[in-house]
Amino acid sequence: MTVSQDLDQNEIKALFEITGDLSGKRMLEIGCGDGRLTWRYASQAAQVIAIDSDLEKVSRARQNLPSDLRERVSFHALGLEEYVDQHPPREQANKFDLVLLAWSL
Amino acid sequence: MVHALEIIHTLLEPNGCLIDIHPNGPPMPIEACLAGQFHRLGYLQETDDFIEYGQASAALGEVIQRGLFVVEGQGKFIFITRAGSVDELHTFLTENWSDSIFPAEVDLQARELSLSTGQISSAQLTVETLIARMRKISQV
Repeated sequence: MTVSQDLDQNEIKALFEITGDLSGKRMLEIGCGDGRLTWRYASQAAQVIAIDSDLEKVSRARQNLPSDLRERVSFHALGLEEYVDQHPPREQANKFDLVLLAWSL
Repeated sequence: MVHALEIIHTLLEPNGCLIDIHPNGPPMPIEACLAGQFHRLGYLQETDDFIEYGQASAALGEVIQRGLFVVEGQGKFIFITRAGSVDELHTFLTENWSDSIFPAEVDLQARELSLSTGQISSAQLTVETLIARMRKISQV
């Protein structure tokens, strides 16, 4: 048996309940880890940028990224401050409709 | 934590929202399943005694009080991590929950339970988790 998390889908149900419709939304996920949660909502959003300072986990996330999500999801092995240094929020292209802090504050 | 929330404020569109998910702190029970019944073995601990969850809530409270965000919705859910054995759960948490402490008494309880009752079919950790949506308030 492999380890499984949120088999009852309580987390993803709670997320969709609180975000409402994600269609057309541009999202930033901070602390994405290996993408466990990212996969589960990304197909609903227009674009997802997922960051985590743990390179090993981000590499795993990239490897496991489902092919149908490749065009809308990108992973970056960066902490929040590094990300902002490289993508200054004063530029409109770097703004988001939703920021998700998943188990990472 | 407050600084991170200030950065997030700058990253959001004027009407954008922050979604925060974090554990509600202890207790985080570890249980073993035998013959379809769950038996409590103990509780997960953390090296910092769960202090960061209180700090996270305090940081969110501060940025709300300062008028950077307003809470639009909040709730709780139960998040379960399930493994085929106590050892497997122990290994997973050690690798994936960096500041967790899997108490030795849990392993001991699991061994005693196996000896007295039979083979453990699965083990699980239960974490009550908070979720909140906060809308950005643009500074005038």
